[in-house]
Amino acid sequence: MRLKLHYWNNISVFKKYTQVVGGVLLATSLSSYANDPVEISGFVENATSVREDRGLSKFRNTLQLEFSKNLNNFAGFYDVSLNATLRGSYDGVYDLNDKEFGAKAGSSISLEDQLVGSVPHGQGLGSTNPIPPYIGAPLPPTNVLGVNTLANPNSGMDVLGEHLHATAGGVAFGVPVRPCDVDSRGCLNGYMDKSENELRFSEFNDNLDFIREFYFDGSMDLDSGTLLNLKVGKQQIVWGRTDLFRVLDIINPVDFSRNNIYDELEDIRIPTWSIAAEWQYGANETFDDINFQLVWVIDEPRPNDLGQGGQPNAILDAGSFFRGMNNCWENGCTVANFAGGAMATDFGPNQIGIRQANVPSWSLDNTSYGFKIEGVYQDIGFSVNAFSYLSQLPSLRGGIEATNSFTGEEDVWPYLIAFDIEFPRINMFGGSLDFYSEDIDSAFRVETSYSTGEEFANTLKPRLFSDSDVFRWVLGVDKNVFVRSINPNKAFLLSFQTFGQHLLDHETQEAPIGIVGMPDWKDNYISTFLLKGWWMNDSLSPQILTAYDWRAKSGVVAPSIDYISGNLRFTLTANVKFGDGAKEFSDCRTCNPFNPFTAVPGIHNGDTFDAGLGGFEPLGRFRAGPIGMANKESELQVSLRYSF
Amino acid sequence: MKLFNKIKCTVALSAVALLNGFAFAGDGVEQSFYPYKDGFPTADKIVPGLVINKDNADIAKDVLDPEMLKQVKAGWVEITVGKSTDFILNQAYIDASKNNVGKVTLPKEKGNLEGGYLAGRPFPEEPDLNDPRAGEKLAWNFQFGYNWGDGAAIDPFYWRYRNMNTDKVERELKFDFHFLNWAHRVNDEPLPEITPNPSELFRSIYVHVQEPYDVKNTQLLIHRYQNDLKRDNAWLYLGFQRRVRRLATGQVTDSFLGSDIMIEDFEGYNGRISDMNWKYLGTKSMLLPFYNHNEQALTDEFKEKDGYKFVDFHGKGSCYPNVTYQLRKVYVLESSPIDSNHPISKRRHFVDAQTFTLPRTIIYDRAGKYWKSWIIGQAHPDHHLAINKGSGVSVDDSFGMMDVQAMHCTTGQFKGIVDPNLNKPKMFKVQYMRTSGK
Repeated sequence: MRLKLHYWNNISVFKKYTQVVGGVLLATSLSSYANDPVEISGFVENATSVREDRGLSKFRNTLQLEFSKNLNNFAGFYDVSLNATLRGSYDGVYDLNDKEFGAKAGSSISLEDQLVGSVPHGQGLGSTNPIPPYIGAPLPPTNVLGVNTLANPNSGMDVLGEHLHATAGGVAFGVPVRPCDVDSRGCLNGYMDKSENELRFSEFNDNLDFIREFYFDGSMDLDSGTLLNLKVGKQQIVWGRTDLFRVLDIINPVDFSRNNIYDELEDIRIPTWSIAAEWQYGANETFDDINFQLVWVIDEPRPNDLGQGGQPNAILDAGSFFRGMNNCWENGCTVANFAGGAMATDFGPNQIGIRQANVPSWSLDNTSYGFKIEGVYQDIGFSVNAFSYLSQLPSLRGGIEATNSFTGEEDVWPYLIAFDIEFPRINMFGGSLDFYSEDIDSAFRVETSYSTGEEFANTLKPRLFSDSDVFRWVLGVDKNVFVRSINPNKAFLLSFQTFGQHLLDHETQEAPIGIVGMPDWKDNYISTFLLKGWWMNDSLSPQILTAYDWRAKSGVVAPSIDYISGNLRFTLTANVKFGDGAKEFSDCRTCNPFNPFTAVPGIHNGDTFDAGLGGFEPLGRFRAGPIGMANKESELQVSLRYSF
Repeated sequence: MKLFNKIKCTVALSAVALLNGFAFAGDGVEQSFYPYKDGFPTADKIVPGLVINKDNADIAKDVLDPEMLKQVKAGWVEITVGKSTDFILNQAYIDASKNNVGKVTLPKEKGNLEGGYLAGRPFPEEPDLNDPRAGEKLAWNFQFGYNWGDGAAIDPFYWRYRNMNTDKVERELKFDFHFLNWAHRVNDEPLPEITPNPSELFRSIYVHVQEPYDVKNTQLLIHRYQNDLKRDNAWLYLGFQRRVRRLATGQVTDSFLGSDIMIEDFEGYNGRISDMNWKYLGTKSMLLPFYNHNEQALTDEFKEKDGYKFVDFHGKGSCYPNVTYQLRKVYVLESSPIDSNHPISKRRHFVDAQTFTLPRTIIYDRAGKYWKSWIIGQAHPDHHLAINKGSGVSVDDSFGMMDVQAMHCTTGQFKGIVDPNLNKPKMFKVQYMRTSGK
């Protein structure tokens, strides 16, 4: 009881409200219609992955139950139904391979130092316990450098990026990698702070994610001849026409910690409490079909789950970066190759890093809303979409008050790598269409979006970020081709897509040492290609899926084979990455925030700006992209599912 | 005066022509819809109650198609002969057909009917072997047939994938199918067309998968246009993606969801007339699976609230509907694809002359070899669900599609319901798939 009260006291008013309402509705509906049959289906599944150099990276066991119950007509609505999906999983990787991903993960670390080779964490320049030659280093007497090694001991850590690249003259720092109840260092409250059990049982959390969906669906015929369809509850609302890429499919945040970008969006969308009302006008003299949908996400804003430091799947390895940075802020940290671009330097608390993640709480102003017009005109299916929402991706905003490492003074220091994480409001306007070309017997689909309010890292700006309007598009083509020598009776599916992204307010600049500005590419393209065949009445289906990031020059090829026998489904996949992997960009070591102590002689001359010294971390990740950053995460994946 | 005489003469000639036309129309329509008014076909030793099996198969050599005869001789199936019965189509459809006689014509090249076709059987006249386009006319009669009336549903519709050698059921799917005629309607309001219909749709088929889990909520929508030269549009909603995908045409000639059936095989042939070359090969009396559903050996393995029972299966691999066959008047029609990439070389259809359904089709692969055997059992609407009584629809009630090369088959067990309320126009919109999909 104590635990329950504790839990209840610590969840938001919104969650309390939705859970009470949901519970009452569930109880009412099920009891009122107890005699109606409830359709139940679902599956149990084991998904196991083994990763190069890391061993077991997933041993996830899932039970998913889907319920559907037809209810009586209600308030003029007919075909009223209650639909629910419950999912619970246990990932045994945190027990079976806990030295890599669990309570025993990480170790003591050393940070690269180009003068002495390497320096143990907490013993760099400025430390109270430095290694030679930093003993008695000529630092200002007012300096407050030095890691709080009591709070931040040299254990349970990885070096940022160590599984992908060598430090190679760039910056790096320690990243605590154990679950947050085992090691709370670097855990961002309310954002990336999962305990071991929350990692093991990912759906059982304060957000009640084990209720994947719970919504009422009903329709009403209006006097105008229009049909109104209303869906209310926790649900997925899917927009767009393309696979893999989320140009319009942005209403629900997604959970990349499940399997990076490689799971079906169906399985990784994070359902939200929402209302979707659609007026279906049907045909008129111009359109074969025209519909208007209003969407209101009444849930509290939820960012994407990027995976936290220490999890097997953390897209862009952002979770490690954030955790290491928050640890730097809270406890201080040793940063490789920092002072003079060469010396491992011990920063003290509240000097650099991430102070906090300001995850928005529920308020009317923080809800998301939008509309979609969708229809068919002659042979073209189309949609026009607009959605206003709080960013599901974090924005690192500098310009927070921090302590000058050399004077102890607290102030806002331009170009200082000290941030809060924010989630700004984004307005997206876009559209999609699909059509079939008889001339080349291919189906085409297109999505585009134009968004405002997105924020990107930018070392040209004193707060180290700026916003940019973004234009995104996807062009997809599906074609069926017979290769009769291999399969005389069934065509292969060839599906090609290219995703493009253009930052309209992109800026970079040639600085004295290197390129500075926005690490994201101004224009970038990712292409995917799927070749899929079927044999044995579709029970055996091999496929090859490839994706290539043209600017990152990194790719993945994922051959797989899928076999269905009765209720059993077996899938074997090799997920092999190739290409450049990590990319370099300016890391703001030469931004000179604490002038004159951090000035580069002959370059800054009293000014504060990014002179361009860089390396792989931390901003290179925006150039390497999700594929490049996972370059050393090739895996063999096996799943066995029993459906019922 | 001369002018008056000329007018009088013209009117008289027109009246004669009109009378002749009516007489011709009446004969043609009568013969087409009531081919058994002077008696049912007969064949030596083929009598109701006869069981044709491998021991006596030769007595049926003139009334079974050659491939079915081989299968009987091989002991794959036994055929029980039933009494021949009239399948009188809906009167409104018959009435509409009367207006077509002598008016509706084929275009010079492939394309759309000319002569103001509105509804009914376009060419009720008896086909002529000397008419090089007789096959095309038969195809049009099927295309604009009263197959499922103006609209109907099959719900539920069980498909089973079976290994013919081991008798093993490899997979079972549960569907609901829905059919709607947008144009050429004769019975259910609005007539003759549902408007607005800006793209001039002729017919739509909507398919929804209820089970099993891995394909649950998969939906298929096919739009066919009044303009036969316009290619069908097809969309597939994948439940596991929650997305609608537009299908390339090639996908309608692929196996549908792993079955032995391609979308183009639905109802015997599901495509444009202009996609095929059609050839009429003659008229004969044949045994076809026409029967009274309620009098068959039904299975109760699927439970329905209303007590409805489904047709059972028997024979090799349990691939054959266990129903009685009756002697019917049959037009033999051959279709061969115009597209050289098509996976088949030809189909031989045995068209039921009274209903213009396709209860029996033989399919040949690209090399011209016998590939598939297609049987669609036809149930009399008056001996089926109560709601079907008097509908004048020859109810598709069971099917077996055998891939005799792979020794694999797909069987279908129908609960066909001729009820316009189950097939409202909204169901045949792309958006409906998104709304009703999970």
